Amino acid sequence: MSKLSDLFIPGLISLSLFALAGTELRSHPTEDASKTHIAVWVGWSGFEYDAFQGVVNDYNKSQNKVFVDLLSITGNSTKTLISTSAGIPPEISLLSAAEIPQFADAGAIEVLDDECKLHGWTEDKYVPGYWDVLQYHGHTMALPATPSTVALHYNTDILKRAGYDKPPETIEEMDEMVNKITKVEDGKVKLAGFLPAEPGWWRWSWGPFFGGQLWDGKSRITMNTPENLRAMKWVESFSKRFGPAQISSYKSGFGVFASPENAFLADKVAMEVQGVWMHNFIQKYNPKLQWRAAPFPYPKDRPDLKGHTIIEQDIFVLLKNCKHRQAAIDFLAYLQKQGPMEKLCLGQKKSSPLRVKSPEFWAKHDNPSIHLFDDMAYSKSCFSTPKLGIWPEYDAEIANALDEVSLLRKTPEEAIRAIDERMQPKLDQYLNRLEKRRRAGK
Amino acid sequence: MMRRKEGRAGFLFALPWLFGLLAFMFYPLLMSLYYSFCDYSALRAPVWIGTDNYSELFHDEVFWTCVKNTLLYACVSLPLGMVMAIGLAMLLNLNVKGMSIYRTIFFIPSLVPMVSLAMLWLWILNGDYGVLNTALASIGIKGPNWLGDVAWSKPALILMSVWGVGNAMLIYLASLQDVPASLLEAAELDGANSWQKTRNVTLPMISPVIQFNMVMGIIGSLQVFAIPFVMFPGGTPARSTYFYAMYLYDNAFNYSRMGYASAMGWILFLVILLLTLVALKLSNKHVHYGGV
Amino acid sequence: MKRKKLLAALPHFALVSLSCLFLFPFLWLLDTAVKPISETMKQPPVWIPSKFEFGNFWEAINYGSDKVGYIPFLVYAENTVMLAILVVTGTVISNAIVAYSFARVRWWGRDIIFAVTLATMMVPFPVMMVPTFTIFKYLGWIGTYRPLWVPAWFGSAFSIFLLRQFFKTIPFELSEAAKLDGAGEWTIFRSVILPLSKPALSVVALFSFMGTWNDFLGPLIYLLRQDTFTLSLGLEFYHSKAGGTQWNLLMAATTIVILPVLVVFFFCQKQFIKGISITGIK
Repeated sequence: MSKLSDLFIPGLISLSLFALAGTELRSHPTEDASKTHIAVWVGWSGFEYDAFQGVVNDYNKSQNKVFVDLLSITGNSTKTLISTSAGIPPEISLLSAAEIPQFADAGAIEVLDDECKLHGWTEDKYVPGYWDVLQYHGHTMALPATPSTVALHYNTDILKRAGYDKPPETIEEMDEMVNKITKVEDGKVKLAGFLPAEPGWWRWSWGPFFGGQLWDGKSRITMNTPENLRAMKWVESFSKRFGPAQISSYKSGFGVFASPENAFLADKVAMEVQGVWMHNFIQKYNPKLQWRAAPFPYPKDRPDLKGHTIIEQDIFVLLKNCKHRQAAIDFLAYLQKQGPMEKLCLGQKKSSPLRVKSPEFWAKHDNPSIHLFDDMAYSKSCFSTPKLGIWPEYDAEIANALDEVSLLRKTPEEAIRAIDERMQPKLDQYLNRLEKRRRAGK
Repeated sequence: MMRRKEGRAGFLFALPWLFGLLAFMFYPLLMSLYYSFCDYSALRAPVWIGTDNYSELFHDEVFWTCVKNTLLYACVSLPLGMVMAIGLAMLLNLNVKGMSIYRTIFFIPSLVPMVSLAMLWLWILNGDYGVLNTALASIGIKGPNWLGDVAWSKPALILMSVWGVGNAMLIYLASLQDVPASLLEAAELDGANSWQKTRNVTLPMISPVIQFNMVMGIIGSLQVFAIPFVMFPGGTPARSTYFYAMYLYDNAFNYSRMGYASAMGWILFLVILLLTLVALKLSNKHVHYGGV
Repeated sequence: MKRKKLLAALPHFALVSLSCLFLFPFLWLLDTAVKPISETMKQPPVWIPSKFEFGNFWEAINYGSDKVGYIPFLVYAENTVMLAILVVTGTVISNAIVAYSFARVRWWGRDIIFAVTLATMMVPFPVMMVPTFTIFKYLGWIGTYRPLWVPAWFGSAFSIFLLRQFFKTIPFELSEAAKLDGAGEWTIFRSVILPLSKPALSVVALFSFMGTWNDFLGPLIYLLRQDTFTLSLGLEFYHSKAGGTQWNLLMAATTIVILPVLVVFFFCQKQFIKGISITGIK
C-alpha cells in the first residue's frame, strides 16, 4: 500500500512532464528556418479554403524566400483581435469589409496608401463597389480578396405555378406576388413567397433597399427616417399578413443552410436574397431546382434605386507590429495579380474584384448569373455596411429591433426610435473618446 | 522553537496558494476594478474616465434586460434544481437493486460536453420537427415553439438546467449516506412516517450541504453562459435569452469595450456577494451543525 | 398491507420513470450517432434507423480528412487529454499541500487567509476574465496552453476547502506519533496523510477533470489555432455554418468523448461518493 502511494507523486509528476512537453510542442510548431514564414489566417473552410490553399501552394512554389503558413480559424476576426492585443498578430488576416472600421480605429491594421501607390493598386484597377469598401477616412486599409454581391434568387417553378414568368420589378409587385404565392392552411404556413428573416444574414439592409441611410457619414445615426420606417413597416407587414407565430413556427422547420433542407432548396420559400455563392449550394444539394437571379426590387416611387445590391467583400488586412511586414506585402502583391486573383475567385466561384477579367475567367465560370453579379457592383445605388467603429453593436441593435417588430412586440415607429435613442449616445461617446485619444497621441 | 519551525513549514506549504491568491485573484480583481473606471479596449492602453462606465450601465436598457433575464433564470432554475437534486439523491440513497446503474444514468448529462448538449437540445426542442413536440403531439398536446417564442425560450433553458444537476446530486447523495441510521431508527420508533423522518431528521442533518449547494448554485446560475451562447446567439428571440455573462462577453470581445465589461463584472461580483451573504444569513437559522 | 406494498413500489417506479427522462436525450444522442445523415432531420423523427451506421464513429474520427488543412479529431482528443493531465495533476498536488497547511499546521494568519480563500469562491469568472487575460498577454502566453493549466498548480479555493475538511477528520494522534519518530511536516504529509486521503483526492481529481474536459470559455479565449483546440471547441467543427451540421457525426464524436469518463464514473462511483461523504462539505 505504502509502495503504491510512494509512486503516486513521482508518477503524477512524470505524467504531467510528458503532457507539458506535448502541449508546448503543440503550441510552438517547428518551422523551416531557411525561409521567412508568414502567418495568414482565414475564416474560410471547405471548398473556399481549398481554393485559397491552391493559390498559396502556387506562391510557396514560385519562390524560395517566403513560406506562407495558412490557417483556417473558426471565429477568425475575434481571434485576430485577441492575438493582436496580445502582441502576436499574424501577418495577414482575412476579415470582412464591415470589420475595417473597428480594426482601424483600434490601430490594429496598417494603412496601405504607400503600398498602393508603389504597386499601382488604384481605383481604376478595381470594380468601383469593391474598391469603395476598402477606404476608411480617405485611406486604403485593406486589399480585396473575394467579393460578392447579392440578388433576389427566385424559384421559377413556384412563380410559374402562381402565374408569373418574370421576377418582380418593384417591391409593390413583389408584395402582390408574395400574397398570391404564400399558402396558409389550417392556420399553418405551407409555402412562403418571401420572408424578410430568411436567410436572415443582412438584416440591416432593408432600410437601404428602400433608399434609407443608416448614418450621415459623419456623426449621426439616422435610423429614424421615412425610408427606414417604410422598410420596417414592410417587414412588419409580413407578420401582420401571415401571423408572427405562424411565420416563426414555419421558420423553425427550415433545415440548416448548407443542406438539402435549406428553405430555398426545399421549395419552402419562393424568393430569397442570396449571394453569388448560392449557385454552388444549389448545384450540390438540389441541382434540379429551377431558379434565376435578378436585382432586388426597388420601391415603385424610387426608380433611381433600380439595380441596387449589397457589396460584400472578404478582404486582406496587414496587422500592425507583425513580424515580417515586407514578406507579407510581397505575398499580397502576388494575390492582386490577375492570374492568382482569378484562380482564387474562380475556385470560390465568385466574381473578380479586378476590372479586367480574362475571357477564360468568364468561360470557366459556371454561375449562369455571374455577369449580373459583376454588373451590379458598378451600380450607383449599391451599398455596404456603414463605416462605423461601433457597427457590431449597431448591427445587433437593428437585428433585435427587427425581431421585436416581426413578433409584433413593438411598432416600427417605436423600434426605429429606440435604435436611434440607444445608438446616438453610443456613437457620440465613441467618437468623443476616439478624438480625445487622438489628441493625447495614444 | 518547535512552534516557529512548524509555522515556517505551514507557511511554506501554503505558499503556492498565497502566490495564486495574489497573482490570479487579488491582482485581477484590483485590475478589473481599475479597468472598470477606464475606457479600455485591449488594443489600446486604458484611459481613466471616472464612473462613466457605471453611469452608462445604469442607463443601458440592454443591461437591464440581461439582469432581468438572468435573475428570472436563477430564481426558477436554482430552487427547481435543488429540489430535483435532493429528490434524486434521496431516491438514489434507497436500497434498490441496480443502484450503480441508476446513479450513472442520472450523472450522464453532467458528462456531455456543453456544445453537444446545446446542439442536442436545439434539436430536441425544435418547434417544428423536434423530438419533444413530436412526442407531445402523440399524446395530443400541441407543444410550443420552444426556441422561437419569447415566452418559451427561458423555460426551455431552465428545463435543460434541471437535467444537469448531476454534480449537486452527487454531493447530496454523499451527505445522505452520512446521516446516521440510528437517528432514523429512533424516529421510526417514535412513530414517525417517512415524510416526518425526511422533514425532521434527514433534511436538518444535510442542511449544511444544502446551504453549500445553494451558495454554489447562486454563483453558477448568475453566470450562465455556454449553453445559451451556443443555442441562442445574440439572445434570440428578441433578447429573451440574452444573459448577463453573454452581454459581458460581447462587450469585452466583440465590441472591444473591456472597461465596460469590467464594470459589469464588478457589479456581478458585488451582487453575488450580497446575495450569498443574505442567503447565508437567512438560512443559518435552519442549518443544523454538529451532526456527526 | 396492500397499500404498504404499493408504497414500497413507489421508489422503483420513480427511479425507472426518472431514468427514462434523464436517459431520453442521451439515447437520442446514441441513436443519432448510428443513423444515416438523411434520417437525422426527418420529420416526423425517425426513432429506429433504417440502417445502423456504426461506421459513423470511424467517419467522425476521420471527418474532413479529405480536405487540405484538416485537423484530425484525435488531435483535439490528444490536446484535451494532455491538458487534463496537467490540470488534474496540478490541482491534486497543489491543493493537497495547501489544504494540509490549512488543516493541520498552525501558522500566523492562517485562519484569516482561509476566510479570504472562502470569500474568493464568490468571485464570478467574468470579473477575472479581462485582467487575467491581460496577465497572460504580458507573459506572452496567449495561444499556448499555459493560461489553461498553470493556475491549477497554484491551488483553487473549492478544492482547498474540500480537502481541508477531509484532512481535519484524520486523527491528530497519527501526526503526533510520527512527530515523535522525528518526522517533519513533509514526511507526515506524504506518508501519513496522503495514503489515507485517496477518496478525497479522487473527488478533487474527478471534478477538476470534468471541469477541464468541458471547459468552453477558457479555450475559446486563449487558444488561437485550430490544431491546438480542445474537444469542447473541436466539436463545434461539425457544426460549421458553411458545411451544415453533420448531426450523426457530431453525436458519434460526442459519444466517443464521453465514453471514457462514463466508464470511469461507473466503476469508481462508490469511491467518489465515499470521498465526498467523508470530506463533509460543511
